[in-house]
Amino acid sequence: MKYIRALLSLLVAGGLTYLLNQPLGPAPALGPFFSPFTGFWQNDEAPQKASSSELKLQGLKGEVIVKYDDNGVPHIFAENDADLFFAQGYIIARDRLWQMDFYTRVTSGRLSEVMGPLALDFDRYNRRLQLPEGAAKLAEAFMKDPDSKLVAESYSAGINAYIEQVEYKDLAIEFKILGYRPEAWSPLKTALVEMLMRKDMNARSDDYRMSNTLAVHGEEVVKDLFPDYPIEESPIIPKGTKWTFTPVAVPKVPEMLKASVAARLDIESENPGIGSNNWAVHGSRTSTGLPLLSNDPHLGLSLPSIWYQMQLVSPTVNVYGVCVPGWPGIGIGFNKDIAWGMTNVGSDVFDFYQIKFKDKTQKEYQHDGQWRPVTMKINEFRVKGEAKTVLDTVRYTHHGPVLYSDGQTPFMGDLPVGHALTWIGPVAVGNSLKALYMINRAKNYDDYRAIMPYLASPAFNVVFASNQNDVAITSAGQLPLKWKEQGKFVLDGANPAHDWRDWIPVEQNPYVKNPARGYVSSANQFPADPSYPYYLGWKFAPGERGIRINERLEKMTQATIDSLRLLQNDNFNVEARRVLPDLLKILEKDSSSKVNPAYQILANWNLRNDPEELGPTIFERWVKELRLAIWDDDFPSTDKKAPMMLPTRDRTWALLQKQPDSKWFDDKRTPKKTETAADIVRSTFAAAIDSLIDKHGRINDESWAWGKAKSTDIKHLVPLFKSFSRMDVINGGGANIVNATTEGGHGPSWRMVVQLDKTWPKAFGLYPGGQSGNPGSRLYDNMIDRWAKGELNELVFLKSKEENHPKIISTLKLGK
Amino acid sequence: MLYVLIILFSAIAQYFGPWWLMPIVCFVLCLWKADAALKAFGVAFFAAATLWLGYASYQHFANEGLIGQKVADIFKIPNVLVLVVITTLIGGIVSGFAGMAGYYCRRALA
Repeated sequence: MKYIRALLSLLVAGGLTYLLNQPLGPAPALGPFFSPFTGFWQNDEAPQKASSSELKLQGLKGEVIVKYDDNGVPHIFAENDADLFFAQGYIIARDRLWQMDFYTRVTSGRLSEVMGPLALDFDRYNRRLQLPEGAAKLAEAFMKDPDSKLVAESYSAGINAYIEQVEYKDLAIEFKILGYRPEAWSPLKTALVEMLMRKDMNARSDDYRMSNTLAVHGEEVVKDLFPDYPIEESPIIPKGTKWTFTPVAVPKVPEMLKASVAARLDIESENPGIGSNNWAVHGSRTSTGLPLLSNDPHLGLSLPSIWYQMQLVSPTVNVYGVCVPGWPGIGIGFNKDIAWGMTNVGSDVFDFYQIKFKDKTQKEYQHDGQWRPVTMKINEFRVKGEAKTVLDTVRYTHHGPVLYSDGQTPFMGDLPVGHALTWIGPVAVGNSLKALYMINRAKNYDDYRAIMPYLASPAFNVVFASNQNDVAITSAGQLPLKWKEQGKFVLDGANPAHDWRDWIPVEQNPYVKNPARGYVSSANQFPADPSYPYYLGWKFAPGERGIRINERLEKMTQATIDSLRLLQNDNFNVEARRVLPDLLKILEKDSSSKVNPAYQILANWNLRNDPEELGPTIFERWVKELRLAIWDDDFPSTDKKAPMMLPTRDRTWALLQKQPDSKWFDDKRTPKKTETAADIVRSTFAAAIDSLIDKHGRINDESWAWGKAKSTDIKHLVPLFKSFSRMDVINGGGANIVNATTEGGHGPSWRMVVQLDKTWPKAFGLYPGGQSGNPGSRLYDNMIDRWAKGELNELVFLKSKEENHPKIISTLKLGK
Repeated sequence: MLYVLIILFSAIAQYFGPWWLMPIVCFVLCLWKADAALKAFGVAFFAAATLWLGYASYQHFANEGLIGQKVADIFKIPNVLVLVVITTLIGGIVSGFAGMAGYYCRRALA
């Protein structure tokens, strides 16, 4: 008996210990997770304290000093470049390793290994986009140049030094919850992080919707309602700028393909747009006589934050700015002599080709009058919680992969089935690390222009200012040399004239230096007016932000840091200025609309999307419904079989103002009645107010206030981890406002203003988050409140490691 | 005495090693010192519970205390106190059984 008792109790105790040490389904192993010695309790981080410490690291050549300021920003001083990038990798891994690992899992299509089956479709999509192939090519390019090789390898070594020594108790909480450990870093992983950028900026397309529109309405209508250049626009390169180069021959426009595509679709709402603003004001218009530069890249806001601030110093460089975790160097920033910033160019670099297969086996496809073989590739996925790997066969043509074959459900609604994809992601070859290495060390305009051949994708409007009083902007990157409207519609995969063949010579990308107007600016609008000899796309970001920025810059004569900060936070609604007076005139004639208190609110509105205003809440909702009501009968955008494009807002307002009798105002779905523009304006006004009352209650200053009604959510990268997110941040602005904060959580992901100076620049900046990736740290989201108010922090740009700056709190010495 | 020894040794063990050294410490110490099954369970349970409760509370209060509530929310646990209770129970139960096993093994060897 006593033996049985001993055995049984041993089994229970041992079994329990064993069980608590195993992951249970999706839950982490409870023992290590709950243990206060190792688990999540360890992720509660004490506030930063004044301290100095020392660490020994294998792989360093000399001594590195890291000084942390009160905002958690590391200022790294190294004796050589290899140590500098080693330390950059090590330091960022301490704060953001999980985020870096997550990014590379997304782009390598390996998220389901740690997240389980719910991530599988996303993984499939990312592999089909050839993100891993693109990354491999990029990594190869890094290794061919001695500078970028040194950067990529030293940075990886630094991250790995951290991974090798990190204990479970110090791992990010996400690793603990999801129950996995970080993998070793490599230059390939850095390339995978870059592919995330390419995807975010460039992997979208209207081709399929436009083809459906063309098939139903014909060329005349498409030409009229979907013009290749907006009615109201203020392009990046000032109108009238002369192009000084001799353009290469542009391919001839072949016969247009009237695609008829059959596919099952689940249409998502229009992409909110990933936009950004940047500008530089020449010294002739500033209070100091030297340039000022501003940049606020708009991205999907997330926690941990997209950006991380750093100062990097070695004998070859002293630069401050932000970097993307996993991507070495400084991406947007400044040094003693120059400053630079970026916005997305947003040219059309994502094209679908209709493929004609020979037979049902889909082993051959037609091209140039011949049958060409289809190549098969099998992607393999390991899925957490599933014993077997999942296999996914993808067919490849010379255009690229057939993104989805018959019978498969596309990951997103605007991806047609049975079409091959050519896009910039896997084909562009540049060397971003070399470009960053060079711009971080640039001293003047020539150094700035020298980086252009290395920028490939995404194409960025790179704004520049120097203390030699030069300002410039270049739409830099690899841009395919297309015939006019190539890729506006689905292309014919059998016709060789439809292939991508060449690139616009890089020195002929749109650019301007020191224009007469005294400033350069971009807000993702058209890079140039129609006098530019090459086709870049038919639709860019709506012009309102660019129009407003240029209007205000036009008036600035003694610009200061604060005038630029205020412009970053400008809430003026250019669209309302354009269209609201005409809309109100229509309501005025209608007695029932006129007595509606919402009418009075709009009539008295100052046209600013300020957080306390009620006007924007009503206006934004109304114009959204109005546009849909005008077009949705003729251009059903949510049709599952053949979704179409809605004409742009720019075209819609021109129609309303100049052709109020147009047939398009009639709602085809009400055959007995012929609606006029005025009818639609009135009915959508009433409907918008009704739906707002449904959502926010009767009109009142509280819940109808724009800041409250809109709000901005900054979500954790794993949306399931809601308590790691910051929801309902109150601020003003809007999707097409200079202060581009949206409901969906897009917005200025970093705001920076730099005042160039002959001796030492002054700079301000912050981003909606914090330096730490740890939700248990005060520095996880400490900048969000100041960000929402439109304030900036003065950035601590140290001249040398000897400088005694009052904001420096702690020092960390790294040595071999 | 046993109570203090368990706290002391398992604290040292866990500071340097994995969490599962705690049940092993309980097993060994109860094998050596415990004189009744229920008492072995109880002492080991309370000693481990005290240690985990104490250290978790220390982590929570000595620092910013930000993470507890956030983790509670993710696992749909009403508040951080419940999370502390769960922590205490997990540590206590596994150690309790280990202590009891220690006592029974001693009896078997005697």
